[in-house]
Amino acid sequence: MFRFILAKLVRAFLTILLVVTFAFIVLRMSGDPAQIMLGPDAPQDAVDAFRARWGLDDPLWQQYLAYLQQILSFDFGVSMRDQSPAIKLVLERIPATLALTIPALILKLCIGIPAGVYAALHRQSVADRGVIMASIFGFTIPSFVLGLVLVLIFAVTLDWLPSGGQDSWRHAILPIATLSIGGIGILARFSRSAMIEVLGQPYIRTAMAKGLPWRDVVWRHALPNAAVPIVTLVGFMVGSLIAGAVVVESIFSWPGVGRLIVVSVANRDLAVVQCLLLVIAASMVMANLLVDFAYGLLDPRLRAKPAAH
Amino acid sequence: MSILLDVRNVVQTYTTARTMFGRTSEIRAVDGIDLTVREGEILGIVGESGSGKSTLGRMLLGLETPSRGEVIYRGNPMPPPHSVEWRALRAHMQLIFQDPLAALDRRMTIARQIAEPLEIHGLAKGDALRNRVAELMAKVGLRKDQANRYPHELSGGQRQRVVIARALASAPRFLVCDEPVSALDVSIQAQVVNLLRDLQERERLTMVFISHDLKVVRNICDRVAVMYLGRVVEEAPSDQIFSDPRHPYTQALVSSIPRPGQGLSGRIVLSGEPPNPANRPTGCAFHPRCRFADAQCAATQPELQRHDGHLAACLKFVRARQFAA
Amino acid sequence: MSIAPAVPAPRMITRIRLKMPILVIIAVGWISLMVLTAIFADQLRPYEITRMDLMARLAPMGTPGHWLGTDELGRDVLTRLIQSIRVSLMIAFGATILSAVFGTTLGFLAAQFRGWVEHLVMALADFQAALPFMIMSLAVLAFFGSSMILLVCLMGFYGWERYARIARGLAISASAQGYAAAVVQLGASPRRVYLKHILPNVASTLIVSMTLTFPEIILMESGLSFLGLGVQPPQTSLGNMVGFGREYLTRAPWIMLAPSIVIVLTTLSISLLGDWLRDRLDPTIR
Ligand SMILES: Nc1ncnc2c1ncn2[C@@H]1O[C@H](COP(=O)(O)OP(=O)(O)O)[C@@H](O)[C@H]1O
Ligand SMILES: [Mg+2]
Repeated sequence: MFRFILAKLVRAFLTILLVVTFAFIVLRMSGDPAQIMLGPDAPQDAVDAFRARWGLDDPLWQQYLAYLQQILSFDFGVSMRDQSPAIKLVLERIPATLALTIPALILKLCIGIPAGVYAALHRQSVADRGVIMASIFGFTIPSFVLGLVLVLIFAVTLDWLPSGGQDSWRHAILPIATLSIGGIGILARFSRSAMIEVLGQPYIRTAMAKGLPWRDVVWRHALPNAAVPIVTLVGFMVGSLIAGAVVVESIFSWPGVGRLIVVSVANRDLAVVQCLLLVIAASMVMANLLVDFAYGLLDPRLRAKPAAH
Repeated sequence: MSILLDVRNVVQTYTTARTMFGRTSEIRAVDGIDLTVREGEILGIVGESGSGKSTLGRMLLGLETPSRGEVIYRGNPMPPPHSVEWRALRAHMQLIFQDPLAALDRRMTIARQIAEPLEIHGLAKGDALRNRVAELMAKVGLRKDQANRYPHELSGGQRQRVVIARALASAPRFLVCDEPVSALDVSIQAQVVNLLRDLQERERLTMVFISHDLKVVRNICDRVAVMYLGRVVEEAPSDQIFSDPRHPYTQALVSSIPRPGQGLSGRIVLSGEPPNPANRPTGCAFHPRCRFADAQCAATQPELQRHDGHLAACLKFVRARQFAA
Repeated sequence: MSIAPAVPAPRMITRIRLKMPILVIIAVGWISLMVLTAIFADQLRPYEITRMDLMARLAPMGTPGHWLGTDELGRDVLTRLIQSIRVSLMIAFGATILSAVFGTTLGFLAAQFRGWVEHLVMALADFQAALPFMIMSLAVLAFFGSSMILLVCLMGFYGWERYARIARGLAISASAQGYAAAVVQLGASPRRVYLKHILPNVASTLIVSMTLTFPEIILMESGLSFLGLGVQPPQTSLGNMVGFGREYLTRAPWIMLAPSIVIVLTTLSISLLGDWLRDRLDPTIR
């Protein structure tokens, strides 16, 4: 178990390191970092100071090490727009995003998984067909189309809900709906397949042959086994809590991380973009670690597997 | 007869990854074998599954480099696998697999697969290639109209004929047949064995014929080596192995071949665990199952010793012979 | 298990197909229509894409001469839709091919050389999976600015890790036993083994993956363009049209609805086709 955790941690660390390296390479490839980080209109002495501080005249590997050191001390540079630290801007926006993504995740879990399991247990029923239709829906309708259609219906035509802004809880309804509808369908469909697959396994038939009541078969044998693949998908969704609302925040003018990314990219505010990149990657890697540990708990056999593939 | 292949004290060790706790364990699949293959003969290699026959066969062909010892082909050491010389040498030596379906590409017609060695080694082109393929197909008893079939459209015996035709395409001098008929129906095993023997005679091939089944080897081999847990325990001309086996293990194998009119009387039943290279007994590896074993057998590993044209590795050699008589 | 388990796309529609294979026919029909539109865009569109008709701004659907209406500058929506289909499909097509070739090559290299090459490829795949693709694209676009070639190349990284994993897995199992080992011992060069034997054997699986990534790339590109960070005016793409149409949502919803419907129908059709192909072609099923 210890080896398992250690291997996962090493891999997570390596992934983060790769992301940092990616940021470093992209930063260097895109031109003079001093110009880029400070903007084209920066005064010469500021540029010189920047070059000296970041050691831009040193050999590349020294620059890389310096960059790593910089990142480790949470110094991601300052925003071009108001000279405040990039990390501060990013952290400020996270609560607003989570205010959308966490309720959406809860909705996905609470509706998607039970619906999928129900569909698997009642195949060919109306509910089953509904789950399949919903998943097609979730998979093929992009969120910007869905969001705009919801706005068109509920804000423009019916005038029940506001179409943008962040003034009251009513403003959050449409964004949360947009975020969760597709995910509910996908999660339901996924849980359904996982459950159907498990129900077809020999040990389920054995359990049934032993005369266990159907409820016990489902609760004690089928569900825990179906949970393993579902956890993967849920982990993926947890990982995108911070980054998964870019489009939706844009549609509804919601001042979260996603808005910040789009605005920073449009303004080429690179310190902020780079900071966002690393924060988001870190959150994804963390979520994946959690998934791996959840796996370890759910399926003891996996614990023994070597870290390689 | 000149010596084609000289196997000198080869050992092959595999490291297997233990999934639990990430520990690795070592398996000695082949544990010190000396052997010669003479030009033009058919050498049989017999032994239970897991005794290292296939591993030895792969080393004879140079498909694997032994962990210790060396294989000398026509006076030269085997080139390292996948080198240019190694690849060129493939035209001279070929392997016939146990499972012909697995050895064939299921998305290629059999004619194209038979043509592959010719293309790879640049031996024929265009019409010459087509003619050579047709000739090979006729030689192994495949019909012309089967040329454009896919492997799954043929029977097991026909597939093995395709594999044989492909192996013969580059006119090799040396052929290793690794259990060539074990995956086939009993009814067609004899056909394929006879085909191989005819081809060997006509093409003057040198052949190593691997089988876990002594019966199959009997009709075809000039010489037989019996393997047990990665070592050769007895080696002798074919008729002597069958008429007068010396090693207790060979005796047990020979006694289990049903003879017409004799029933199963005199059959020596092997007791104890089947051999496992991961858990090799001390001394003579066969001693836990041997009728004649004593304390000395558990302590000392016997070497192959010459005796009346036999080579056998047994400390109780003479006594074993008396008991068998 | 890697750090970032690839999330398999949900296996959709299978049962619907069994009941209504006609759905696949419709899907193929729609895809053909889109492909033909993309190819003959120049002949099909009624006007120049930038031609403005200031007299007929925000004309509704059904206006004679502008059957799908016009936008805020009086440009014909049908014309722009046809051009958008061409641009979006071309990007998605080019990117799908790029990503398949790139991923498959890396997967094969990993399988052939094992050791550190394999570790490197797999670490890159983990990295790709750890970073949401949209965020990575946004970062690259922020650093380099947006251009058509950059966009195609960027989209060409979408999903490569899936091909790499598939190709590596299939190639390793093929060389471990069976036909690939048999051809190697015939003396074939690695090039021959991979191109003539392993590739044809894994092609069906790779093609199925391509039909799965294609709609995702369309969605990714239209998402970026919708945000104003993908295809740049005066060029237009489906997402780009939706993005600009959003501002006229109340007054002229047709600007945004026409491209939205095309996006949804196209991704739906390709997914349907992909699912059907997977059932037909995937060797693990046959
Ligand atoms: N590539 C390999 N890796 C690990 N172990 C192997 C490998 N090939 C063979 N072995 C092991 O070596 C032993 C001998 O195998 P093999 O030569 O195939 O025997 P035989 O052909 O006589 O059945 C077996 O225990 C087998 O599990
Ligand atoms: Mg074998």
